Amino acid sequence: MSAIEIEGLHTYYGKSHILHGVSLRVAEGKLTTLLGRNGAGKTTTMRSVMNLTPPRQGRVTVFGKDTTRWPTFRIAAHGVGYVPEGRRIFPNLSVEENLKVPLERPGPWTIPRIYQLFPRLEERRMNRGRQLSGGEQEMLSIARALLLNPRVLILDEPSQGLAPLIVRDVFRIVSQMRDEGISVLLVEQNVRMSLEVADHAYVLDDGAIVYDGPAAELAADEERIQALAGATAEEWQEAASA
Amino acid sequence: MLQLILFNLFNGLIIGAFYVLVSLGLSMILNLSNVINFAHGNFLALGGYLAYALIPFIGFWPSLLVAPLATALIGYVIEVTMISRLYGRDPIYSLLLTFGLAFMLQDACRYIWGVNGLPLSVPNNISQPLSQTYFFLNAYRLFLVGIVVVSVLGLFAFLRYSRMGMRIRAGILDLDTVSALGINVRMLRSLNFAFGIFLAGLAGVLAGGQIGLNPNMGDTLLLPSFVAIIVGGMGSLVGTLLGGLTIGVAAALTAVVWPAGSDVVVYIIMAVVLLVRPRGFLGEEGMQ
Repeated sequence: MSAIEIEGLHTYYGKSHILHGVSLRVAEGKLTTLLGRNGAGKTTTMRSVMNLTPPRQGRVTVFGKDTTRWPTFRIAAHGVGYVPEGRRIFPNLSVEENLKVPLERPGPWTIPRIYQLFPRLEERRMNRGRQLSGGEQEMLSIARALLLNPRVLILDEPSQGLAPLIVRDVFRIVSQMRDEGISVLLVEQNVRMSLEVADHAYVLDDGAIVYDGPAAELAADEERIQALAGATAEEWQEAASA
Repeated sequence: MLQLILFNLFNGLIIGAFYVLVSLGLSMILNLSNVINFAHGNFLALGGYLAYALIPFIGFWPSLLVAPLATALIGYVIEVTMISRLYGRDPIYSLLLTFGLAFMLQDACRYIWGVNGLPLSVPNNISQPLSQTYFFLNAYRLFLVGIVVVSVLGLFAFLRYSRMGMRIRAGILDLDTVSALGINVRMLRSLNFAFGIFLAGLAGVLAGGQIGLNPNMGDTLLLPSFVAIIVGGMGSLVGTLLGGLTIGVAAALTAVVWPAGSDVVVYIIMAVVLLVRPRGFLGEEGMQ
């Protein structure tokens, strides 16, 4: 069984057609990465999976259940941990209060265990969300999703706007989650580091999947990676379809 | 003169206490559901009338709790069956709906209990004045202030320390993310609505014991309570609390020197606050 299976997703923002039949699969216990440049539709794909932006066509299956029309909270309660783009920390709540918001699904993750993994959060437990640094906010956002005790974890650009050293930490934690048996879907612009930790990779461009294969295979294609890492839209498309 | 000022100050406190109960409920509903509940004053009246109907059977004290609970239950059903269907649409829809509900609830009260006012009898032992000089101090009014203080403290403790309270506070700023963390936000909104209506029902019972019941009894409280929210600052319940007390006391003190001006002063305060500090006492910058 796959953790998440997306088939032929079409999603619109108002009248603009963002996703043109996206299909991808997150294998259970594996780390799958979804790469693509800014505006390719990565975040929209994630929001469609969570039904925060309902898809107009297509199907999302999570651990064998068709969740396409489920309300967001029911999808999460089914075991999908979601670390949204921009972290979305509750700024008016303290760190500890942020950690008490998620549904208490039974499982190994508790607040004391979270504090073991992220000692910095324990130091700052009485601080408000808005007082945290970007790295601390990212840790808190991941911690918050883990407290749901998810079976699959979706992370939308966790390295965005973070210092290189902290980006290392984030990727270390993400691969640690996979080693714990949580299936992971990692959405990133940081191509090299994502391919380093991922098992399988997809590349999204202009709302359609243009690469689907083992992460190691894409990682070995230095020319293509360079093209993916920093390129104009046209060059990018060329490289992606090469 | 001192006695007169004290008398009016105390009256202001009582009126302010009602504004606080009404505006806190309104504010909770507005914050989490983005609904301006125009029927709030009619839920208040309904609470008073339900107490009137219950007192012969269960007595005053139990009614003080049961009538607001029953009002909250009716509010819950109305939220689930009608108001929740309009979430996500332009706020004008829910505004029109609650506006219509206000008339329906008012006419329901008229139909069942009549157009004329009814007395809500308070137990004798708490309705006597406590002293000759301070004739305005009777046990009922002190008790009324006490109940309001306890409910407000209870509400703030609930919001501050319970998980559900944290979820409500988080949802005020970002309901989507609360939902993405597995919390049934439909239920959260319905319960939050019911809490707000409970406070209105409680205010209705207390106001009934003070000034009697009539189908329009909530109307005079509703507008100043909106003012309390604006003056206190949108999105801040502590602000709403301060706003309610401020306008209650200001209206009562104005009555000492200029009786006709006591209604107007509420709106003068609002105008001044909007000019000097548009976000209100404790409002978040940029709240809509």
